[in-house]
Formats: sequence, structure tokens, C-alpha cells
Amino acid sequence: MLVTWKYRPRNTIVQRMDPRTRLIFMVCIIFALTIPEIWDYRIILPLFLISLTLYLLARIEWKDVRRVWLYISILVFFIVGLNGLLSGRGGPSSVTNIPSPVLFEVPIKIPYTEIGWDVPITVSKTWFALNQMTRMLCMAILAIPIPYTMDPNIYGTAFKRMGASDNVSFTMDLAFRFLPTFARDFSITLDAQRARGYEIDKLRGGLFARIRRLAPLIIPVVMQSTVTGEEVIDAMDLRAFGTAPRTWLKDLKYAPRDYVLLGLGVLIFIACCVLKWVFGIGGYFVPEFFTKFLVG
Amino acid sequence: MSSIPIAVQDLSFQYRTRPEPAIVDVSFELRPGELLLIAGSSGCGKTTLARCINGLIPRSYRGERNGRVLLYGKDVAEMKIPEMAQVVGTLLQDPERQIVASNVFNEVAFGPENLGLPREQILQRVDQAMNRLNIAYLKERETFNLSGGEKQKVALAGLLAMNPSILLLDEPLASLDPASAYEALGVFRSLADEGKTILLIEHRVEDALEAKPDRMLYMEDGKVKYLDQIRDLPVEIDHTQVKLPAPWVVQRVKALSHEKSSILRRADAEKGELLVVFEEVDFQYSEDTPLVLKNVNLSIHRGDLIAVLGPNGAGKSTLVKHAIGLLKPTRGRVLIEGEDTRKMSIAQIACVVGYVFQSPTHMLYAPTVREELEFGPRNLEFKPEVMHASVAESLRSVNLIGLEDYPPLGLSFGQQKRTTIAAVLAMRSKIMIMDEPTAGQDFANYTRFMDALCKPSNGTHSLLTARFASTIFITHDLDLAVTYSNRVLLFGDRHVVADGKPEQVLKDTEQLLRYRVRPTSLLYMNLELLPATGRFLPAEVLAEYIR
Repeated sequence: MLVTWKYRPRNTIVQRMDPRTRLIFMVCIIFALTIPEIWDYRIILPLFLISLTLYLLARIEWKDVRRVWLYISILVFFIVGLNGLLSGRGGPSSVTNIPSPVLFEVPIKIPYTEIGWDVPITVSKTWFALNQMTRMLCMAILAIPIPYTMDPNIYGTAFKRMGASDNVSFTMDLAFRFLPTFARDFSITLDAQRARGYEIDKLRGGLFARIRRLAPLIIPVVMQSTVTGEEVIDAMDLRAFGTAPRTWLKDLKYAPRDYVLLGLGVLIFIACCVLKWVFGIGGYFVPEFFTKFLVG
Repeated sequence: MSSIPIAVQDLSFQYRTRPEPAIVDVSFELRPGELLLIAGSSGCGKTTLARCINGLIPRSYRGERNGRVLLYGKDVAEMKIPEMAQVVGTLLQDPERQIVASNVFNEVAFGPENLGLPREQILQRVDQAMNRLNIAYLKERETFNLSGGEKQKVALAGLLAMNPSILLLDEPLASLDPASAYEALGVFRSLADEGKTILLIEHRVEDALEAKPDRMLYMEDGKVKYLDQIRDLPVEIDHTQVKLPAPWVVQRVKALSHEKSSILRRADAEKGELLVVFEEVDFQYSEDTPLVLKNVNLSIHRGDLIAVLGPNGAGKSTLVKHAIGLLKPTRGRVLIEGEDTRKMSIAQIACVVGYVFQSPTHMLYAPTVREELEFGPRNLEFKPEVMHASVAESLRSVNLIGLEDYPPLGLSFGQQKRTTIAAVLAMRSKIMIMDEPTAGQDFANYTRFMDALCKPSNGTHSLLTARFASTIFITHDLDLAVTYSNRVLLFGDRHVVADGKPEQVLKDTEQLLRYRVRPTSLLYMNLELLPATGRFLPAEVLAEYIR
């Protein structure tokens, strides 16, 4: 049986919105940043502030999302940020191509070998890392509130009413609930293995040995997920799912506030495309104030 | 169209992957409103018969099928799934496996929505089904927050909303506490009285009798061994294969005198050294959730074989998780051999307390049984020679010899369960805790399993008493407590309601009922004969005391 996220009804403007509006707005912002490849902080920053406003309007308690923020922070700061800072990759080629003052060098060495080199940290790479992190956060803070503030009973309906087929809509419904179910199974398995003296914080050996030592957690959870998947399929078959066009009982209706947000989302997407492709605004550059701030 | 809901004619089926047929020449007919109890042990063919009736055979399971199953005169093999789903509703063993939607209303509406019925008709059917089972108050609830009994009713409402005239109930009591099971059986009877034709598959015949079945079909080795009214039940029906009421077992044992050898005598509790102590323990999962344990005081001694009884959701699993240190008290303390669990790592506690989880799939992972058993000892840093000796001894103890190199996840459920016990045995812990050790097993299998653990094998000691200083098992099956334990904890309202010898705790049947534990015929018979026996005994042994 699949479980759901920690959703609870709150009397907020965000929760009163049609779920389709929120999904479409999120897609508009992601597309606006990625399709025309926007790297200009003058566009990224306002979009980040709009996303942050929506996040704050959702009024999610910190204790509910503390752990999610921990994972997102690790991803954004340590993986995306550090990667941007060290390699300058993942963005436009101008990040590494343009001449930029070197701030300092980081020595990197391949373990157990003599092979190594110094990686220069430039002003350009630093600005790129900040830009990249802001872009990622801008998208993440639109996605984080969804499981906590969107009624799990209308996941499937939202996709159906956006024009998806019965199969796709129900697949999305089940997929949304898969992650918390996976987390529950993981927690039970972790308890079962800890009761056999297994200590996850005492993984020893090299990378492959460590991965192998995770098998007692990974295999039972994957098995359990497979079994749950098969059970859901059997239960749906026995109740004639997919044998005829389905009636979806729940109806969704857009309110004026939905049209406002949808309009804003579409406008942002079109504006970003026009700015970049028509006026050439939105590409990567390092602002002077930042260079001055770092190198004087 | 024929008026006969089900006609099974000379039905045989052999799975493609099996060397022998699963069912052979099964024939019977059911009339409208009839409730047929189908009983038999695991592997007797009852599940295959059910699959032939609900159409999963031949659609999902391939093999050689002979004979016919006719639903209102129409062959199942020729019917389409939507048509089938409106004629036969199948309730699976575990309601958790059946529930698809995240809230109750959506769950009940799921079937009719799939049939593409008009909106008004669906709403009407949902209301009717929920009102019929008196669960309209659950309409807006999340499905995963329901109790076991509520989940069962919601799953049944989901079937009723599709308006089938035949209900196929596949061991529907398996995951319910006794009181919920009793309520469910009442609902099944009333549905039959309203004209639904019901096939109730259940190995716990004693419990199923509460639904007042019109007839019983008993199967062994794929063949029908008995098909008639229940009051004429012949002695051929083996009480070791299905759970029969205690008076019937006594009657059978007396008729077949050679069975008297199958006796089991419980060791009495002798208060030994103190192993685990709960001192004024309170526990809550988070600050904004209610207490799950409240002022729990408990001592576990060497020699205890404790059965923990109580309703679903009472906190029984939370209680025992404190003994292994997976949970730490919010207030009070838990001491393992005098040391506070807050100051011990779980690995340290695991040297003293072994915990067998309810579902083997949450625990088994290794490529072979031997490696699975070595996992715990390796974590506890046993010396290699000690580990090998311990694993070999554990394999012998639970009769897994010959399966050492098999993948545990490829074994049968009963063998997987034994592997989990062996895995804990190999750790040489002093205390064994088992959460619902019989869950998912049929009567014959779990009786064999519990006998193997608790039955004295060398005159005085059973596997459990020889290998563990103390054993605790959580169960819904009152007869397990009566038969195997020497101490009973009744847990409810977040604390220990009663604690003592089975003869003391279980004599208060009104108190048991208050905590949703239904007294069984074995308990009543034991209470009646207690002046003569002096202690609780299995039905086979009680036969000696009845003239």
C-alpha cells in the first residue's frame, strides 16, 4: 500500500490555488530559465524573489521541511556550487573562456597516485557558481512545497485535467506517492538491520566495499518496492482499471487568482525568450561590481 | 442466462512451472445467497480454485486447464475483465494490498470510475456501499491512517460499489485483530442474507464459523475431501491442517487414539535473573503527537516466554522496540541487564536482545542463507570459528540444513520466516523478540513453526528455552498465548493492563473483550477444566481430561 506525503490542509492562498496552476507556473519558470539559457542575474534574481514569495505564502512549518532543505542544500551548495566553482562547467562556455582574474588555486590530486594539478578559482567561475545556485534554488523552492501543500487525492486529477491520458495521470498519482512509501520501507529495513548490529555510520573500506556494505539496506527496500508495485497492479486489474475510458469524479475549476499566476508564468517565459533571442539580453557576464568587490 | 451463480465442473489445473496439478476434478455448484467456506492447508489448491473463479486463471497464470467454471451459465474463460469485475468481487488477504487510492472516498469510487459509469451513478453506488458497511464517517479519511478493521471494510466497500453478485474472500481475517475479524464475519453473513453468493477461503475454521457458513468445502492435495454442511463434519478433516474448534479437536483425538502422542507441555516460568526493566516509560513520536506509551512499568526475567496481546495500534510494537533500543523513552528509562538503553548503541543491545521483524522481506538480502545468517555475527565482530559454529548450529536448530546455499528471497514464506529466526539465533542474543511470528502463514505451517520453537525436544528444553534466556512474541492469536506462553501481557490504552501467568490473565474474559481480544473455544475449555488440569493445555492434551 502506498502512503502519502505529510500533507495537511492550510488556509493559504497557495493551497487555494488550482493544482494545475502551480504545476504549470513551475514549468514556466523552469523553461524560462533553461530553454533560452538565462544566466543574467538581473533576470534570475527577480525570478528567485517571485519563487521565494510563493514559498513563503505556502506557510509550511520549518520542522516539516527541515530534512528536505538539508538534502537540497547539500545538492545545491556542495554539488552544484562546488562543481561550478571548481570546473566552471554546466553553463555557457564563456565562463571558462573569458579572461578572468585568478583569486587562488586549489591543488587536486588523484588518491594513491602522484597525478595532480592546480585548479584556478577565477572571479568568473565564482560568479557562475553563485548564479547556478540561485537558478537551482529558484526552481527548487517552487517544487518543495508541492508534496506538503497539494492534496494527494487530486494528483491524478490534476494531470488528467491538463490533458494527460488515464494511464499517464494515474501513473503520476502513484509516482508522487512512491517516494514517501520508499522512505517508510527504508526506515523499517534500517531498523531491522540495526537490530542485527548493522551500523551505517561504520562503513569501512574503499568506495566499492562501502557500496557493497549498503546491500543489506538497498536489496530489501528494492524488493519491497517491487512487491508493492506488483500488488498495486493486481489490485487495479481486479477492479478493471484500463479496460474502458475512465470517469474522473473530481472536477477542478480555475479561479481569477489562477489566471493571474498562469498569465504571469506564461509572460515570464515569453519575456525571457524575447529578451534572449530578440534583444540578446540574458547571457552570461560578470558584473563589474563583483570583480571590484573581489579583486578591488 | 442461468440462475446458478457458480458452477464448477470437473475443474483441474496444472501450472506451467509445476510438475503436478494444483487442483484435480473439482466440482460444485452454489445457489444465490449461499455462503461456502473453503478450507484447507497451504498448497491444498484453494487459492488456485479462487483464481479459476475470479478469472486470474487463465488470464494472469498460465497452465493446463480442464473442466469449466460457469458464472450464471457463462464460462469465465470467455468473459472480459470489466464484465468479470461486475460479477465477482475479490477481497485479498491483506487489505493493504487491495487499497490503491489515498483517501477513502476515492478508494470506494475507484472501481466504478474504471468502468466509466456516469458521475451520478458512481456517487450513488459509493454512498450505498459505505452506508451498507456503516463507514460513511470514514469518507474523508486518508486510507493509510485507518486501522486494520477499517481498511478491510473500505476494501470491501470498494468491491460492493462495483455491485458484484459473487464475493470471493481470500483469507480476509489474516491481518485483523480478533474483534475486527468477528465484526467482518458478521458483515459477510449479512451480505449473504441479502442475496450475495459468498466464497470464504479461510484456514481458521473456528473463526469462520461466526459467519455461519451454509456449507464447507475441505481440500487436501488439490482434491475435494469434504463438501457438505458443517454440522456433519466428519473426523477425516485433519485438525492439524485447519484450525477447528477445541471441542471438535477433542472429539477427533478421542476417535483417533494414535494422535495423542502429539502433545506439548509448556515450561512454567521460574523467576530468574532480571534482564530488561521498563521504569515509568512514556513515549511519543513527536511533540505534537499523542503519547503511545504512558507510564509503562515492566520487568522481564530469565525463563519468561511472554505473549503480548492487545488491539491493533495499541503500541505493542512500540513497546518492544524500546527493548532493542530502536526507540528511546521520552520519559523514564529502559534498562538492559542494568544498563540504560540511552547509553548503549543498538549494536551493543543486539548482543543481548534479538528482534525478528514481522515481514522477512524487510530483513533478508544476502545471496545465500549462510551469508544471511553470518550477517549479524559479523556485525557483532564474532571470531570466525565462533561465527561458523553459531551459524551451523542455527541452521540445524530451525531445520534449514540443505538450504544453506539457496537465496533466502527465493524460499517459501515459511522457510524465509525460519531464516529470520535462525539469523537471530546465530547472534547468540539472550532474549528473542518476535513481532507476529505467525503472520502470513496458514494454521498448519504456523503450528509446525511454533511447535519447532516451543516444543521440548530433549525432554525438558525447547529450542527457545535452550537457546534464549527469555522470549517475547506479539500476537493476535489467543490460542498461541494459551498453548505456548508462560506469561501474558495484555497491552492497551498505552500501558500494561494485565501481566501474569496465562491462567491468571486470560480468566478475565470480559477484560479481554474490552481490549478486543476474543476468547476462543480452547480458552473456554481450558478455563472449565482448570481445576483438574491446574494449567492451560493444548486441545489434544485436554482430550485426556474429558470423558
